[in-house]
Amino acid sequence: MRALGVAVAGVSLPLLLGVVLLGGVLAPQDPTASVAAAWQPAGPGHPLGTDGLGRDVWSRVLAGGRDLLVTGVAAALAASLVGVAGGLAAGWAGRTWDRVLTGVADLLLAVPTLLLALLAAVTLPGRAAVVVATVCGGAPLTLRVVRDAVRSLRHSGYVEAALCRGERPVAVVVREVLPVMRGLVAADLGLRLVVALQIASALNLLGFGVSPPAPDWALMLRENMPGIAANPAAVAAPAVALGLVTVALALAVQTVTHHRGSDG
Amino acid sequence: MGETPAVTETAGRGEAGRNVSEGLDVRGIRVVDAGGRPIVGPLDLRVPPGRVVAVMGESGGGKTSAVLAALDALPPGLRRAGGTTWWNGRPVPPGRAARRWRRAEAGLLGQDPAADLHPLRTVAGLVADGFPRGRDGRGDAVGRVLAELGLDPREVAHRRPHRLSGGQAQRVALARAIVGDPPLLVLDEPTSGLDPATVELVVGVLLRRRTTPGAATLVVTHDRGFAERVADEVVTVGARPAPRREPATAPRRRSRGEPVALRLRGLDVAPPGGGPSLLTSVDLEIGRGELVAVVGPSGSGKSTLLRAVAGLHPPTAGTVEVEGRALPARVSDRDRSSLRAVQFVGQDPLGALNPAHRVGAALARPARVLRALPAAPARRQAEELLAEVGLSPQVARRRPRGLSGGQRQRVAIARALAAGPAVLLADEVTSALDAVNAHAVLDLLEDLRARQAMAVLLVTHDVTVAARADRVFAIDPEHARLLPVGSAADAAAPDRDGRGRRTPEKDEKENADA
Repeated sequence: MRALGVAVAGVSLPLLLGVVLLGGVLAPQDPTASVAAAWQPAGPGHPLGTDGLGRDVWSRVLAGGRDLLVTGVAAALAASLVGVAGGLAAGWAGRTWDRVLTGVADLLLAVPTLLLALLAAVTLPGRAAVVVATVCGGAPLTLRVVRDAVRSLRHSGYVEAALCRGERPVAVVVREVLPVMRGLVAADLGLRLVVALQIASALNLLGFGVSPPAPDWALMLRENMPGIAANPAAVAAPAVALGLVTVALALAVQTVTHHRGSDG
Repeated sequence: MGETPAVTETAGRGEAGRNVSEGLDVRGIRVVDAGGRPIVGPLDLRVPPGRVVAVMGESGGGKTSAVLAALDALPPGLRRAGGTTWWNGRPVPPGRAARRWRRAEAGLLGQDPAADLHPLRTVAGLVADGFPRGRDGRGDAVGRVLAELGLDPREVAHRRPHRLSGGQAQRVALARAIVGDPPLLVLDEPTSGLDPATVELVVGVLLRRRTTPGAATLVVTHDRGFAERVADEVVTVGARPAPRREPATAPRRRSRGEPVALRLRGLDVAPPGGGPSLLTSVDLEIGRGELVAVVGPSGSGKSTLLRAVAGLHPPTAGTVEVEGRALPARVSDRDRSSLRAVQFVGQDPLGALNPAHRVGAALARPARVLRALPAAPARRQAEELLAEVGLSPQVARRRPRGLSGGQRQRVAIARALAAGPAVLLADEVTSALDAVNAHAVLDLLEDLRARQAMAVLLVTHDVTVAARADRVFAIDPEHARLLPVGSAADAAAPDRDGRGRRTPEKDEKENADA
């Protein structure tokens, strides 16, 4: 099982990510140009048929993931960074800092993430909205997890040894606490990544993100729904692509975490 | 391995069949690490019912690994490369079957019992976990077993692990292991953090187990005296322990005329969770190069006193002076030279080292921070320190995960020495070491205090360790006082069957009386 995970992470993931990121270049036809009749089923020249405007679905699937992936990864990294920094500060400083930071985190957690995402979407441009919504919805969770872990490490022998040699608090946190928590942070980043992709695709699906005619998996789901009877592949292909990337990323993060955990 | 079918035929019979004896029978067990290097073995172990077998050997010799391999409970990174385990004449196949067998038949006490206690559960709940489901009288059994181990059930039953001292946590873990009277009991260093009075209680529990029908007991220990008292048979793993080396320099009994290295004045120490003071008005002077031991029952505040001096747990009143200079109460307020002057070695060798850092980096860091040494000399010094505590330079490249408990404790001591302290605070530093290594570490401290005039304040539960001190103090928990041993309230633990050497002060006083 673990060997399988390593294989997936080591070979398929870079391949998959490469295809998603370079998809626009690999696309056999212009993803935004009408090249054939509307709603053609799969056939020669169009392996996945065409959509309502006669565009090649295969080309659009190849080109339609990059924006989503880049936005999602950026949003997840931002959420993780904010959450880890907040968690370290709250867990290490304790007292007032702890109360203020966890209070803010709890407040944000009380608001449904989707509501936050919609609020962000109507006030901010698409990509920024994804980042803001992921940070507001995900960073509080990261903060709580990291804070609790830091608190349990505060009195460990190596932290006290560092204090006894007069390391500054920042040095103790960065040199002693953070390395021990890298597995935890990596696992948490995986969760944030999945949520970020969900938010990004949800906003695109609802029409707040990228605007037509740009190729985008979530947008394609919405655009191609009316023609599902004539060309089911036009809906199925972007859905599968979205699922595949999410699962592969989650699996990869998990494998890396376990791998690290055993020799760390 | 070819004999396995023959054994299965006799399985279930009351008598031993084909050389396989009743109880636990382990043949040719071998353990290798992830890289296939042999760690221990091949080794045979036989624990008949009603018997207690002790496994002894040098620290890092693979005692624990051998026993865990027999139970098929090795931690990740180690692998059983060969050997079979029989239980009452049946082979125990590795994997899920072994897990079921352990759950049904075995009680296990790990080497770091405090870490095995779930932090959010109460003592009563933790101990009750060890009691088989569906059997009556759980509450009574929990109370009885806690009392047997010298814990007041009314007082500790509702506490959570963070409010237990190291020795109390160990006894709670032991209580969990024995509460269900498991047919097979495996104890890994059950006495390492205990004061002599509590060790007596553990001895009592083990002697009683001998009379329980069908109860087999396996004890991993480095304490030869303990092994001889409880065990019917002693198995030695790894190299034979070398005879105890005489210290290079004869221990010097220092007079009061030496310059004072550490002076405590009117120190009041409260327990970490708050509550009435553990110690009040502690006045203590330690001369340069002097070794002073503090003994006292588990939970009496020995460790807390050291932490107060180290600045990790500020005292509620009083002052700490090192070489005539008063130190700020909190470690964060101390300047570099004050920090260098006092170094602390903790009780728990598992938590003492950062799992993410290699040993070399952990040892080089204090020299870099406190003495502003550049990277290369700090690294060289790290290797010298390793040699000084009796470890090979190769250890510098390892991470704590790959070290035994004893090796970790030596690294922790080496890290404290890297600062070049005037006062070393040592909290049960020898409790995780076998007798040979423990004395080697004490010899090392002896040597250091002779050469560098380093004062050592040592907290211990072990009379033989305390006997090597120049002066011994005992904590009287009832009056929260620190008293020199030999005075009215002699709180020093009783000698164990002549094993404990008496402290010189005590002898002197008794000679004077006679």
